[in-house]
Amino acid sequence: MVWGPMIAWYLFLAGASAGAFITAAFVARKYPDSVKMRVAGRLIAPVFMAIGLLLLMLDAEAGMHDPLRFVYLVLNPGSVMTLGVYFICIYMPVCLIAAILEIRKTPVPGWLDWIGIISAFCVAAYTGFLLGVVHAYPLWNNAILPILFVISALSAGLAATSLIGLITDRERFEQMWLVKKSHVILSAIEAIVLFTMLVIVNSGSPEGAASVHSLIAGQYAPLFWGGLVILGLIAPFMIEGYPVFITKKPETSTTSLVVSIIGESGVLIGGFVLRLLIVLAALPVAFL
Amino acid sequence: MTQEEKRALFAPTRRGFLKGSAATLALAATAGAYSFGTWQVEQAAAAGGNLAKGPSLCNGCSSKCGLFATTMDGRLWIVNGMEDHPYAKGTLCGRGQGTAQWAYDDERVTQPMKRMEDGSFEPISWDQAYKEIAEKVKGIIETAGPEALAMIQDPRPSGKYYTKRFINALGSNNFYTHGAACNLSKESGIEQAIGASNYSVDWPNTKMVVFIGRSYGDGIRPSSVQSIAAAAERDTRIVIVDPRLNNTGIFASDWIPIKPGNDIAFLLGIANVLVTKDLYDHAFVEQHSVGFPEFAAQVAEYTPEWAEGICDVPAEKIVEIAEALAKAAPACAIEPSWRAAFGCAHQNSFETARCVCAVNALLGCWGQKGGALITSSPKAGEVDPIKFPSVPKPAGTRLGDTEFPLVSSSMGTNLAVLDGCLNGKIEGVFFYNSNAVQGYSQPAKWREALDKAKLVVSVDIQMSETCMQSDYVLPECTVLERMELPEFIGGKKHYVAMRTKVLEPVHPEPKPCDQIFSELARACGVGQYFDFTVEELAAAQLATVGASIEEVTEKGIVELSNPGFSYGVPKFKTPTEKFQFISEKVGAAGFNPVIGYAPRLVEPAADEFYFVGGKQGIQSHTMTLNLESLNAISREYDLERVWLSTADAQKLGIADGDTVELSSSEFTGRTRAKVTERLKPGVVFLPTHYGNTSPYLTRARDLGLNFMDFVPFHMEPGVGAAMTQEVAVKVRKVG
Amino acid sequence: MARYGMLIDTKKCVGCYACRIACQMINGLPSDEAFIKFYEEEQGSYPNVYAENVPVQCMHCEDAPCQTVCPTTATYTTDSGVVLVDEKKCIGCKYCMAACPYNARVQLHPSGVVEKCRFCWYEGEPGNPPACVGTCISGARIFGDLDDPESEICKEIARTNAQPLAGDLTRAKIYYVR
Repeated sequence: MVWGPMIAWYLFLAGASAGAFITAAFVARKYPDSVKMRVAGRLIAPVFMAIGLLLLMLDAEAGMHDPLRFVYLVLNPGSVMTLGVYFICIYMPVCLIAAILEIRKTPVPGWLDWIGIISAFCVAAYTGFLLGVVHAYPLWNNAILPILFVISALSAGLAATSLIGLITDRERFEQMWLVKKSHVILSAIEAIVLFTMLVIVNSGSPEGAASVHSLIAGQYAPLFWGGLVILGLIAPFMIEGYPVFITKKPETSTTSLVVSIIGESGVLIGGFVLRLLIVLAALPVAFL
Repeated sequence: MTQEEKRALFAPTRRGFLKGSAATLALAATAGAYSFGTWQVEQAAAAGGNLAKGPSLCNGCSSKCGLFATTMDGRLWIVNGMEDHPYAKGTLCGRGQGTAQWAYDDERVTQPMKRMEDGSFEPISWDQAYKEIAEKVKGIIETAGPEALAMIQDPRPSGKYYTKRFINALGSNNFYTHGAACNLSKESGIEQAIGASNYSVDWPNTKMVVFIGRSYGDGIRPSSVQSIAAAAERDTRIVIVDPRLNNTGIFASDWIPIKPGNDIAFLLGIANVLVTKDLYDHAFVEQHSVGFPEFAAQVAEYTPEWAEGICDVPAEKIVEIAEALAKAAPACAIEPSWRAAFGCAHQNSFETARCVCAVNALLGCWGQKGGALITSSPKAGEVDPIKFPSVPKPAGTRLGDTEFPLVSSSMGTNLAVLDGCLNGKIEGVFFYNSNAVQGYSQPAKWREALDKAKLVVSVDIQMSETCMQSDYVLPECTVLERMELPEFIGGKKHYVAMRTKVLEPVHPEPKPCDQIFSELARACGVGQYFDFTVEELAAAQLATVGASIEEVTEKGIVELSNPGFSYGVPKFKTPTEKFQFISEKVGAAGFNPVIGYAPRLVEPAADEFYFVGGKQGIQSHTMTLNLESLNAISREYDLERVWLSTADAQKLGIADGDTVELSSSEFTGRTRAKVTERLKPGVVFLPTHYGNTSPYLTRARDLGLNFMDFVPFHMEPGVGAAMTQEVAVKVRKVG
Repeated sequence: MARYGMLIDTKKCVGCYACRIACQMINGLPSDEAFIKFYEEEQGSYPNVYAENVPVQCMHCEDAPCQTVCPTTATYTTDSGVVLVDEKKCIGCKYCMAACPYNARVQLHPSGVVEKCRFCWYEGEPGNPPACVGTCISGARIFGDLDDPESEICKEIARTNAQPLAGDLTRAKIYYVR
């Protein structure tokens, strides 16, 4: 495989960063009192993005030998990677400024927030298109992958932010029904989109089918079912869905705290595993 | 663009920046913008970029193809095949490209070594090594006579001259080539039939050629591959008889999978059809052969049905091939082969070679256009007897020649040395450019034998398995670092070419073989026969054919006076001066004088497989595997794997890539399996370049298995060849 | 302007690897990095089998996906259709390796640059012929101008009906006889 875990981490962190920024913006509007959670989202966004970019650069061996070469990254607007650089060039300063303003307890202006939200969506989508435009790999080269990555990015960003909200400000967190509902719905949509993508890739080409097979029944099956489906999709859906749709009342017990932490962590782990599997399991189209 | 024009434009001379033998390359500072060949160009630019070019002969196999090596600032940059060399024809194969880099190998032996009591090696000075070797040589001569000394070498231009001169000067006749593990049976057999040890197919004009085991695509000589490629384009019928679909298969019209070691039955089946259906060349047989009536009487038994029962080729296929040959005759031939199926492989290899010749005789293709040609070879004339005194012929016969009277006199059977060490007749053995221990017969047997010798000396460029068994290892410099004596090349035209010193020695200590054996001779007290330099002798030899060192250095190869080849039945240099269906010498040796059937020795039991070995195009026996560039290919493409047929693999539950255990009567070892449709079920194929054990060769060590470990020590009756494929194996899955 | 391409006749290739090593030498590549890769293909079943060696290297595609995705424009195409890498611009992101359907891209070490066959390009021209063609023992490789109907390569492509390995993947300029 051309890329490995380092790039999977980057794809995950960039997506989670975008998701966290969007979560923070959402919380700021709907729950202005939930300060800790908003701040968490604002801080997670630039930190995750920065770590991701660092990993991306570390993976670019020739660039590491001569870092000035990274300047050339803006030269080919026809390349999705260059587009991503443009998006990140906007997104990164915006989320950094938003974080600084938040630390200095200064309100983030609405226009800046909107630029951030839009560029965050672009960054999340780009991580999908980056792979999606590569014709050589059927597992990547489909229209659904970018959608899947955007949904997973929102879910992961939400989970990262929620995790901190859950620990630092649980009382208020348990009241944020919209956030919790979104979370459950995102898990459900992600599962459906993932399923759809696998069905389409499976029927599209022998190499696609082989990739899907390696995920659901081959060498990656334990990671796929354990890490992505159970831990990353089903567990969070059940854990968040239970209070939201069944008991319909805020949880207060310690047990439920632990369970919720497991659920949020599951989303994060699932988000990384998804990208790792997509990167590793892709098989090229046969040319012979 | 013609092939010539295309090659003339090839990289080293292109755009004329390499005029003459040396040129200074002034590189613009911008040359690095595209950084083509970064290290070379930038290095050259930094140093002022001095390019030089010189001729040599490849040492990747015994073809010795002509090449030009181009150096940049003294370091090898690229190599190209010599346009006018009849074997290279402007190209070099993978081994040629790879072995050109030998000088820079990081695991060469770079100083004389002496083996200690515990088997380890310590460096020793040249003088000390010569002194100690000479003392032991003198001791052996005093107590056991010079006939207790022997020399084994794989012929190279200087090596074959100096090693023979050295051992003869010491008073011993025991001079051998690697032949017993190569083409000894085949050449000895051919010699009894046609009076020459080899012949060639007239490729440009042939209509049909049958290969018995040999593969031009695996044991590569570029000119042969070009010949067969051109023939295939003309829709020449090319038949491959081989249990394995080898890499010549792309050119073939027929692949005839055969039971290994039973090619003789296939050939006799063809002979039977030609004789019984009266398809043979009456004129040739009547005018140019002896023993045909006896042969015809005997061959009547060898019906295609009989042959099918032995070699497992359908009788109708045998008939069809025989009829097709007869139709194509005389523009057709059974190819002479080399090592492959009957060079040294089986108990019946000598006789198989005779059968090949017999079929060609029935087809009347000897000397005919498109048939089997016996061409001549040039050699140096007499040189100044005072400057280069001839060595008196030692008394007595070479060890082994009495027991194996049919052995080719130019080769001898080196296994007589192994046997001689065991029975005490041989006490001192010299090896030059020879890894006998690893490849000439069973390694364990060679070790046992050499352990008994009082003195074993190896001259080599790396610590081969034979060096590991030697008391002294004398390092030779690699091929591009040394000049050698002229090499004479025969065929329809005659040539002389020569290795020149293209590279300055990378290491200070290693010496060329002429120097090593001359100095050793002086130490042993026979220096009077070595009182000249290699340059002096080369110049004298070249002068006898009207050439000079300068001319050969400049051109790389020089065409000699036309030998006047013409088609027509050749004069056979047999005792009868005719083609011999019957050989008095074979009869005198106690065998059937008439060309006929002989069985292979080892037949596999019900749970065993025929075990066959063979070459791969990028390795030369056991000597190239440690070369970085060639080793990398073997590893990247898993070339060391053992081949199993799909049918057998299914039965044994073995999948491609599984680890399997092979065991013969002699040895058990494990390697991975290649499961393929390219192999006859019931046969297992192992490439013969692997399983090196020398701790000094870290890349080669423990890669794959050595075929010869599995093979019992044998000597083929009559010729003493190693019978390298008289073995059966069991196979089981282990992982 | 010429449009350079190559023809590889697998019916003449015995798989001797000379092209790989000549390429490594002229490009100064270490032994375990190569611009030419080999694929052994078996067709049919015993005893009716055909086996071929297929050497694969950069196809110098007209629509090179590696060039499209290269973010730094390190990958570019010359006027004569040769796809090259400006090593001084390459950051080693490996996007081109992912995009190339022929697995023809190789990351070099220690530089980290991703390189490939360059038709032995030097000082504004390709090798004439490139090293792999020059050393090929059986004439299985022909190099030349695809736009010149009189060139040997054009005649041979026409005569043998040579085709790109996978015409539906890219518009490759290496043609194969198989």
